[in-house]
Amino acid sequence: MTHFYRAFLLLLLCCMTTAVSVHAQQRNEAPLISGSFRNITFQDFVQRLETRLPYKFYFEQAVADSIKVDVEVEGEPLNLVLAQILKGTEYKFAITEQRQIFITRQNPIMTNLPSNFFKDEEEARRNSQLATPAYLPQQQDNKKRIQSEIKLYEIGTPNGSKTGRANLAGTLRDANTGEPIIGAHIYIESPSVGTASDQYGYYSLSLPVGRHELNIRAVGLKNTKRQVILHSDGKLDIEVEEDIRTLKEVLVEAEKDRNVTGLQMGMERLDIRTIKQVPTAFGETDILRVVLTLPGVKSVGEGSTGMNVRGGSTDQNLILLNDATIYNPSHLFGFFSAFNPDVIKSVELYKSAVPARYGGRLSSVLEVSSREGNKKQFSGAGGIGLLTSRLTLEGPIVKDKTSILVGGRSTYSDWLLKKIPNKSFSNSEASFYDINTHVSHEIDEKNSVYLTGYLSKDRFKLASDTLYRFQNQNASLKWKHNFHNKLYSVVTGTYSHYGYDISNEENAANAAAMDFGISQTGMQVDFNYFPDSKHTLDFGASAIRYEVNPGSLVPNHAESLIRPDKLQQEKAVESALYLSDRYDISQKLSVSAGLRYSFFTALGKRDVLQYAPGLPMSLNTIVDTVSYGSGKSIATYHGPEFRLSARYVVSDNSSVKVSYNRLRQYVHMLSNTATMAPTDTWKLSDSNIKPQVGDQVAIGYYRNLRANTIEFSAEAYYKWMQDFLDYRSGANIIMNHHIETDVANAEGKAYGVELMLKKASGKLNGWVSYTYSRTLVRLDDPTVSEVINRGEWYASNFDKPHDLTMISNYRFSQRFSTSLNFTYSTGRPITLPLAKYYDGGSHRILYSDRNEYRIPDYYRVDLALNIEGNHKIAKLAHSSWTVAVYNLTGRKNPYSVYFKSQNGQIRGYKMSIFGNPIPTITYNFKF
Amino acid sequence: MKIRNWKNPIVWLVMLLVSGCVDPYFPEVKESGSSFLVVNGFLNANGPTTIQLLRSQSLNDTEAPPAEENATVIVESENGERFGLHGTGYGTYRHPNLQLRADSKYRLYIRTRSGSEYASDYVEVKTSPAIESVNWKAEGGEVKIYVNSQDPNNSTHYYKWDYEETWQFRSALYSVLIYENGQVRFREPSDVPIAYCWKSDNSTRVEIGSSVKLSEDRISNYRILSIPYNSEKISMKYSILVKQYALTREAFEYLEMLKKNTENIGTLFDPLPSQLTSNIRSLSNPDETVIGYISATTMETKRIFVSSRDLPRDWRLYYPSCEVDTVMISSGQVQERFTGGYLIPVDEIYSPTSPVAIGYTYGTRACVDCTLQGTNVKPAYWE
Repeated sequence: MTHFYRAFLLLLLCCMTTAVSVHAQQRNEAPLISGSFRNITFQDFVQRLETRLPYKFYFEQAVADSIKVDVEVEGEPLNLVLAQILKGTEYKFAITEQRQIFITRQNPIMTNLPSNFFKDEEEARRNSQLATPAYLPQQQDNKKRIQSEIKLYEIGTPNGSKTGRANLAGTLRDANTGEPIIGAHIYIESPSVGTASDQYGYYSLSLPVGRHELNIRAVGLKNTKRQVILHSDGKLDIEVEEDIRTLKEVLVEAEKDRNVTGLQMGMERLDIRTIKQVPTAFGETDILRVVLTLPGVKSVGEGSTGMNVRGGSTDQNLILLNDATIYNPSHLFGFFSAFNPDVIKSVELYKSAVPARYGGRLSSVLEVSSREGNKKQFSGAGGIGLLTSRLTLEGPIVKDKTSILVGGRSTYSDWLLKKIPNKSFSNSEASFYDINTHVSHEIDEKNSVYLTGYLSKDRFKLASDTLYRFQNQNASLKWKHNFHNKLYSVVTGTYSHYGYDISNEENAANAAAMDFGISQTGMQVDFNYFPDSKHTLDFGASAIRYEVNPGSLVPNHAESLIRPDKLQQEKAVESALYLSDRYDISQKLSVSAGLRYSFFTALGKRDVLQYAPGLPMSLNTIVDTVSYGSGKSIATYHGPEFRLSARYVVSDNSSVKVSYNRLRQYVHMLSNTATMAPTDTWKLSDSNIKPQVGDQVAIGYYRNLRANTIEFSAEAYYKWMQDFLDYRSGANIIMNHHIETDVANAEGKAYGVELMLKKASGKLNGWVSYTYSRTLVRLDDPTVSEVINRGEWYASNFDKPHDLTMISNYRFSQRFSTSLNFTYSTGRPITLPLAKYYDGGSHRILYSDRNEYRIPDYYRVDLALNIEGNHKIAKLAHSSWTVAVYNLTGRKNPYSVYFKSQNGQIRGYKMSIFGNPIPTITYNFKF
Repeated sequence: MKIRNWKNPIVWLVMLLVSGCVDPYFPEVKESGSSFLVVNGFLNANGPTTIQLLRSQSLNDTEAPPAEENATVIVESENGERFGLHGTGYGTYRHPNLQLRADSKYRLYIRTRSGSEYASDYVEVKTSPAIESVNWKAEGGEVKIYVNSQDPNNSTHYYKWDYEETWQFRSALYSVLIYENGQVRFREPSDVPIAYCWKSDNSTRVEIGSSVKLSEDRISNYRILSIPYNSEKISMKYSILVKQYALTREAFEYLEMLKKNTENIGTLFDPLPSQLTSNIRSLSNPDETVIGYISATTMETKRIFVSSRDLPRDWRLYYPSCEVDTVMISSGQVQERFTGGYLIPVDEIYSPTSPVAIGYTYGTRACVDCTLQGTNVKPAYWE
C-alpha cells in the first residue's frame, strides 16, 4: 500500500503542482467563521465577512438580490458556511489560492486543472470545451480522491439530445484491494434517483441526460462523488477508498436512508466491522452469534448456533456461503460458527419479503459472502485467540484482474483438554479446522468468474469411546456476464456436502460405525434487467439435485456382531423458475411483485412403504411396498410462491412497508433434541413426507431521526406454517427404515412485533431492539399421529415472548473503544414433571403437557475493549487487541432443566453452560 | 472436580472456559389435583406373580406412596381363563404360581375399591432364554458386571434385566464384650452376632438391551452395573442375582422412553421429554392417565459372587472406621456409660503391670452392631 501511495504522490507532484499548493495553503489557513448572520442580504453578509477576513468576493448583482442569508455559525470553516448558504440555490462558489471567492451560476469556477490535463490530451481537450467544474474538497488529506472527484466524466456520445434518459452502470470497487463494494448507495440529489450496488458491486441507474453529481456512500468507506455528463448509455467504474480513520466504528452511513427509502423489509445486513465488535464467549468473532442479537432471531440455548427466525425451526433457514448451502453452520458443539471472520465480507439476513431468487426454506435466508481477495497487492490477516488461531492470505495473481484469497482456522482445544487434570476431560477430544478459498478473475469488461471453496471438519469424543466426526464441503463457480448496461446474467454452479460419522469401539461385540451424508449439486441462472428507471426485473431458473445417504451402519471390529445395515439412498430434484419486478410507481410508492414456481420430484431407485389411508402411519398400517426403478418419479410436488412487497414514503424521513410471501420447503431436518446437534439428519420429501409450506404477512413503519443518524423501525408479522415435522414421543431418528412412522406433520403459527432503534454513526453507536413474539404448534389430527396436549396449540421449544437486546459501542479515541452488550429474554418452554410415582425400584416422574412451563429468564451482559495499534500507514502489520468479558455478571443462565431418578429419588437440576464471567483476550493482525 | 495443580495458568483458564455448572433446581409446578393409578409388576408366565397398585404423588411429597388396597386384580386370557390375585398388604396382589400358555394372550384386569375399572391390552407371552453368563471385570477402579445372553431360536430380541445385590459387611469395631445385667462380660458364640452382616438392595434403573441390529439374537457383555472400588459392597464379599425377562417391541419402546425421560438426561443434546403411553387403560374414563406397562414373560436368573480377595491388590477397599473412647473402671462410670445400649464395650484395657482389666474401650452402637444396617442371618445361598 505504501508504494502505491508514494507513486501516486509523485504523479500528483508532477502533474498537479498548482493544485497541491492551493490545497496545502488552504489547509494551513482554513478560515473559521463565527457569528450570527440572521436574515440579511448576501450583500451585507459579504461586507461583514470582507471586513473580518482577507478574502475578496466576486459575484453578479443578481446573486445579491436572490440570496437571503440566515445562518448562525460557531467556528465553522468558510467553505462549509458558503455551502450552507448556497444550498438549494443554483449558485456555486469557488475559492482560489489568492483568497478570491467566485460565486457563479450552475457550475463553479475551476481553481485547478484536472488531474490528467497534461496526460490525456484528447480527454483534456474535451473537458476544456465544457464548463469544467471545480470542486473544493473539505478535507484535503487524500489526493487521489480529489483527482477523481473533480474530474468530469463524460459518458456516452453527444448526440445533441438534451432530453430523455440514459443508463449509467458500472462496478464499485475498493481502491485498495480492488474488491467489489456491496450495498453502497449511489444517487443523485435532483431529481432524486438512486440505487444500491448488488453483490458484485454492480449498479445500474437510469438518469436524465445531462450533468450530474453522483454521490457514493458505503459502509466503512469514504464518501465520495463523481461529476458526470451523461449523453447516452455508458459505463462508469468507481473506486472508493477505505476510511481508515473509522477502523472498527460501525459506519452504516452507506445506506443511511435505506431504512426508510429502501423497498426491502425484514432484512438485516451486517458488515464484518459491526460483527467484530460484539464480544463472544471465546473471544472469536462469531457471525451467527451476532445474527442472534438481531430482532426476530432466537436460539434455544447459548451453546447452540441453530437459529429460529420469526418462529421457524432451525432447519428452516437457508444458509448460503457464496451461494452454496451450508447444512451445519457450527463447530465444536455449536460454540463456534463455521465462518472464519477474516474471510467474510458481509452477512445478509432476510426474515420476510424474501427475494424471489431464493427458495427452499421456510423462515429465512442467511447469505454469507466471502471477500474476493486483494486485487492490488499481497496482504494477510490473522488472529490468535484462547482456543483458535486463524490466518488469511490474499493477493493478486494478475494485478487488477485476478485475485486469490485463502483463509484457514484451527483449534488447539485438544491440547488444552489433555492438560485438564480430570479424567473425563483428558479422555475427551475436540478439534476442528476450516479452510476457505476464493479466486476471482475478470476476463474482460463484460465477463467475470468467481470460484470459491470451503471445507470444514470437526471431530470430538466426550469422555467416552464414541467418536463423532462431521464435515462440510462446499464449492461454487460463478460466471457473471454483462450483456449491456441494462442486463446482466449470473450463472452459478454449486456443490454442497454435509456428512458425519459416529464410531463406537467400547464393546467389541457392539463396535460399529454409522454415517450419514447429504449432497446437493445446483445450477442457477439469474438475470438482472433494468429496462428503465421505474422497473427492475429479476428472473431466472434453478435446479438442485439432492442425494442423501440417510445412514449406514457397519461393524468396525473383527468380533463385532453388528449386522451391516444401510438405509435406502434418497434422490430428488428441486427446480424453480422465478420472475420479479420492482416498479417505482412514483417517488412515494414502490411495489415489488414476484412469483417463484417450484417443483420437486423424489426419484428412485427406492422401495417405498405405503400406508393405509386415513390412519396414522405405523408399522401396523403398512399395506404395501412399491419398488421404483432408477430415475423413476416417486412423488411430485409443485406450487407457486408469491413474493409481494410495497413501500409508501409518508414523509421525507418516514415510510410504511408491507409484504406477503409464501415459501415451500422440500428438505427436512430430523432432530429430536431441542438444539441443533451434529447428529441431526436430513430427509427429503417423498410420498410419505409432505413438503412444508409457510406464509407470512408483515407490516412495518420506518422513521429516521436526527438527519438519518438514528433509525427506528417497527415491524409486525403473522406467519402460518403447514406440515413441518414434529416428532412423536420417543421417536427414533437414526437408522430408522420407516422414519415416517416416527414423525408427524404439525401446523404452526407465529406472530410478533419487532422494534429497533439504531444509531449507526458517531462516538456512541449500536442498537437496541425489543421483540414480542409467540410461536405455537398444534398436532390435533388423530389420523396423522398421536394427539399432543389434547390437540390444543402449545408453545414451541423456542417460544420466548420477550426479548430485549442492546449492542453498544463507545469510541473514546481513534485507538480505544469499548462495547457493552446486554441481552434479556424470557426462558424457553420446557416440559416439567407434575407428579412422581414409585415403579417398584425407583421413583419416577410423570411429565406435564408438552412445553407447559418455562425455564428461568435469560440475562447476560458482555463487555469488550478494543485497543488498536497506531495508525501509521507504513509499518509491518496493523494489530489490535481485544479484551473481553463474556457474561460479566456471572449469571448462571439455565441452558436446560431436567429431572433424574437417582438412587431411587427424583432430583431436579438446572444446567448452565457459561455460568461464570469468561475473560478472553485475542490478538489480531493485518499486513 | 478436584483441581490439584490449579496454579498452572493454562489449566486455570480452561477450567474457567468449561465451567459449565449443574445446580439443584426445584421449579414451582401447579399441584395436580388427582393422583394417578400406578401399576407395577409383570405377569410371570411360570411362577409367582406379584402386582403392586400404588398412587402417584406430588413431587415434594415425602410420604411413602399411597397404596391402592382392597382392589380386585385378575389375570384374564383371551379365551376366558381367569386367575385371581390375592392382596397381601401395601397394595400388593399375588398369585403363588401362575402358568400362562405361550399360544394365548393375557391381560390384567383391575377394579378398585371405589369401583373404577382398568384393564391392560392383551399381551403375548414371551419366553426368555436362559442367561448364558454373568461375569465381572475389575478395571479403571470399578467392578463392572456384565450379562451375556443368547437365544438360539432367534425370537427374543428385546431383553430386560433386574438384579438383587447382597453383600457382606463388617462393623467398624469388633466387640469381644457384651454389657448385660449391669455387667461387662465376654461374648459367647450363643450371643447374637453383631460383627458380620448382610445387606441387600434392588436395582433402581431400567436395564434393557436389544439385539435387533445384530446378526444373531445375542446380548454380549451388556454392562448392568459398575461398583466403585471404595464401595462397602465389595469390601468383603458381594453377590448379585440377575433376573432376565423377554419383552415385546412395544414394551421395550415404553421402557426405552421411560429411561430417556428419567435417566439419560442432562447432556447438551437432550431429547425432549415425551409422553409415555401405557398399555393399561381406564374402562370407565378413557382420558384418565394410568401409569405402568404390563408384560407377560418368563423369568430367568443367575447368581454370581465377587470376593474382595479376587480384587486387584492395589485397590484401597472400603474399611469402616470409628473412634473409640475409654472408660476406666476406677472412675465408677462403667454402668452409667453402658446402660441404655447406645454405647457398647469393645475391649478391655490392661495396665502394663497388672493382668486385671482396668478399663474398657467402647464405641457407639452404630460402630459396633451391624444389625442396625443389615441382617446377621446368613442368606441360604451364601457360599
